[in-house]
Amino acid sequence: MHVGIDTGGTNVDAVLVDDGIRASGKVPGDRDNPVEHLLEELLDGQQAVERVVVATTLLLNAAVQERLPACTNVLVPGPGLSPERAFHGEANHVAAGCVDHRGRVTEEPAYERRPATETVAVTAKFGTRNPEPERELRETLDSDAASVALGHAAGPGLNFPDRAATTVANARTAGTFAGFASEIDDALDTVGVDAPVYYLKGDAAMLSADAMATRPAQALRAGPAASALGLVALTGVEDAVCVDIGGTTTDVTRVTDGFPVTEPVEAGSLETGYDGVRAVDLPLGGDTRVAADGLTGRREGHASAFGGDEPTLTDALSVTGALEDTGGALDSEAARTAFESFERPRAVAAGVVDSYVSRVADAIASVAPNATRLVAGGVLAPSLADRLADAAGIGESLVPDHAAVAGAVGCATARVSVETGIHIDSARGTVTVSALGTETEPVERGRTFDDDEVATLAIERAREAARRAGAQSDTEMPVNVRHTRRFNVVEKARVAGQVVDATAQVEPGLGVELGGDR
Amino acid sequence: MTLALYYHEDYLLHEHTPTHPERRERLQYTMDQLREEGLLDSPAVDICAPEPASTADLHRVHDGEYLDRLRYMSRRGEGQLSVDTHVSEHVWEQARLAAGGVADAVEAVATGTHPRSFVMARPGGHHAFADDGHGFCYLNNTAVALRRVQATTDVDRILLWDWDAHHCDGTQSIFADDPSVLVMSTHQSGRTLFPGTGFVREVGAGAGEGYTVNVPLSPRTGDDAYLRVVEEIFEPIAEQYDPDLLFVEAGQDNHFTDPITDLGVTAQGYARLMERAVDAADELCDGRLAASLAGGYGIEGGLPYTNLAVIASLAGLETSNIREPALYEPPSASPGVERVIDRVKERHGEYWDF
Ligand SMILES: [Zn+2]
Repeated sequence: MHVGIDTGGTNVDAVLVDDGIRASGKVPGDRDNPVEHLLEELLDGQQAVERVVVATTLLLNAAVQERLPACTNVLVPGPGLSPERAFHGEANHVAAGCVDHRGRVTEEPAYERRPATETVAVTAKFGTRNPEPERELRETLDSDAASVALGHAAGPGLNFPDRAATTVANARTAGTFAGFASEIDDALDTVGVDAPVYYLKGDAAMLSADAMATRPAQALRAGPAASALGLVALTGVEDAVCVDIGGTTTDVTRVTDGFPVTEPVEAGSLETGYDGVRAVDLPLGGDTRVAADGLTGRREGHASAFGGDEPTLTDALSVTGALEDTGGALDSEAARTAFESFERPRAVAAGVVDSYVSRVADAIASVAPNATRLVAGGVLAPSLADRLADAAGIGESLVPDHAAVAGAVGCATARVSVETGIHIDSARGTVTVSALGTETEPVERGRTFDDDEVATLAIERAREAARRAGAQSDTEMPVNVRHTRRFNVVEKARVAGQVVDATAQVEPGLGVELGGDR
Repeated sequence: MTLALYYHEDYLLHEHTPTHPERRERLQYTMDQLREEGLLDSPAVDICAPEPASTADLHRVHDGEYLDRLRYMSRRGEGQLSVDTHVSEHVWEQARLAAGGVADAVEAVATGTHPRSFVMARPGGHHAFADDGHGFCYLNNTAVALRRVQATTDVDRILLWDWDAHHCDGTQSIFADDPSVLVMSTHQSGRTLFPGTGFVREVGAGAGEGYTVNVPLSPRTGDDAYLRVVEEIFEPIAEQYDPDLLFVEAGQDNHFTDPITDLGVTAQGYARLMERAVDAADELCDGRLAASLAGGYGIEGGLPYTNLAVIASLAGLETSNIREPALYEPPSASPGVERVIDRVKERHGEYWDF
């Protein structure tokens, strides 16, 4: 049994999934210990929980609202283009030292200053070819640095300025993530669930909690990733635009070839090299407060129809008679009363529904201009899917069963994905593997590798990284070896060894098929 | 300012012998450096894919018989044009792709799709004659490129500055009697280095007399001496010649770590030289400047930094932090260049004012 938990801005949703959806639930996120209450309600103590997978919008919200701590960005740029290209911290300190393209330390690292903040990122040029200088600098930092992220742990690949930005994003989100993860751990302890915990990444794959803790910026787009993957799992669509209508926000994403489309993620002042689902995140949802002149873009509480005090989009749907079954007790009288404060309640209600539909249609046009199918999730999906499709000029709309908890379904059906870079330099006698971190190990000097050996090694190391990130079986680990190159290293007119590069990815995908076949 | 950078993975295919100095990691380590600097993902650089030079392109420069011979040898994947210039199965296609890359890069600048361009290609071309090759060269990439833009665009007069450590014997012979391409070569003197030509007295012939300028330099010549040559020879001649386009054959084997030459230029020196070329192009030909990598065999301590320096200068990026790691020590002293400057001025005083 997989437990999927989606903690959004308004509600916390959870599902239990094995080869189908066994139970689901939703509680308001503003009550005390919502995860604990929800799991207590869903789990009857009989099910063996294999894994718990969590998505949160907490990091994204903190980033967008600029609530993350400031970071001192310590760089070891060595010679090259201006280090300012990598100045992504609130403070930026240039340290001495140089790692070259073969991972050799050609100048000793030295950091003479003190970080200006408790949050610190340390990134060396070519740090993914040799992690030692970053580790050495970390040792010299005062122990009162609360959170230190190292560039070589950000992921494989070469791009020093991007890696510095990503490392800063990891350092700045680390505290928020750690706090959230420990709340989840406490809730699971309380309800007696002792299963491995995973977090959803923005690319709709998951990582173990430990792996995510070193690169939490990967979770920035987890919210829209969860709902997009959930809608794929529930419907089996290959190509569609997905609209997830939440209480506070509406996420518009796109699916092609059976998986959400991704792009490098930016959020607030953070830039990362991580892929996340391409999403337009509108600040409008069922709880968005309505004023006489239309939608405010703010949430002040629940819809009146669900026990709130103010008129909302949900209430507007109720007043216009468009509100379909929401799966819960609904007070349409309260909705009507809330709208009575307006001079022309029905006109205001119809106007805000129109305005919501047209703003979502604009978002659809920008994310998926040629989409021919719309899949909707969220409590209001049955009430709005057809109208949204009409407004966007899309012929077919689809609201699967369990659409209200699509994000939680996405969590429960995700699998592990890790990208791994391998750099062999047998003239130096080293193999450097970058995946969840960067490690250098010895290899026989002068050894050569043929293409098959390189591919085998890449697949092995990618699976090893995926296992460390929590993948449990080889069937969950289709590996794509993306790039290899090989050449001789000549020293003193002799072939001294080989340099070999390979990148391999255990690909994202659905870890559980729910049988949707659209 | 977006620099067009022409590069293709197929530039890595050809290998002379497993330990030959002209080998693929000349480009690989540089590409690693560019990638890690973030240049390849940056708006400052457009990565452009070259097309192979066409048959018509090749016939503007080379003898049909030589082209047939080279293609045949390459198909068999064996043989040599000279003791150090081997023919592998990849030579024909790769040399055409290198010539095509330089031609595309010059064309991009001539037609204005990019203000400046740089080509990271192998094999090189400047030792290739119309009817033969040697010195690791098979087709004369630069001649193929310049002849194409002269034939297909409104660019007529081209100033070619070949700063490779070796004299461009092939290029010089192709343009010797042609005043529409002024070939200026700064190189380590033929008395101490292959191919043994490029003396001051070689000035072109017929209508091309005075349009071949050779500045042979002593071993260990360094940055400041090169800049004096730029100021006293290159700049005055460039101004008087008033080209439509400037082409720099940017050999990186003047670097002090180069194992097969003996000059003393640093990565900073390369940045300065390319900045002067950029200034000259801005002043004389609306900024039209194309450049290509030529030689350069200091694979570890030279090329990643010198290529970065010239590419950064071309892209208008800050270059002050580009240098070799401290592990590599530049030579402390450079011989003077007064004597060679005087000899060039004396010989070319007949054609140019200094
Ligand atoms: Zn050369």
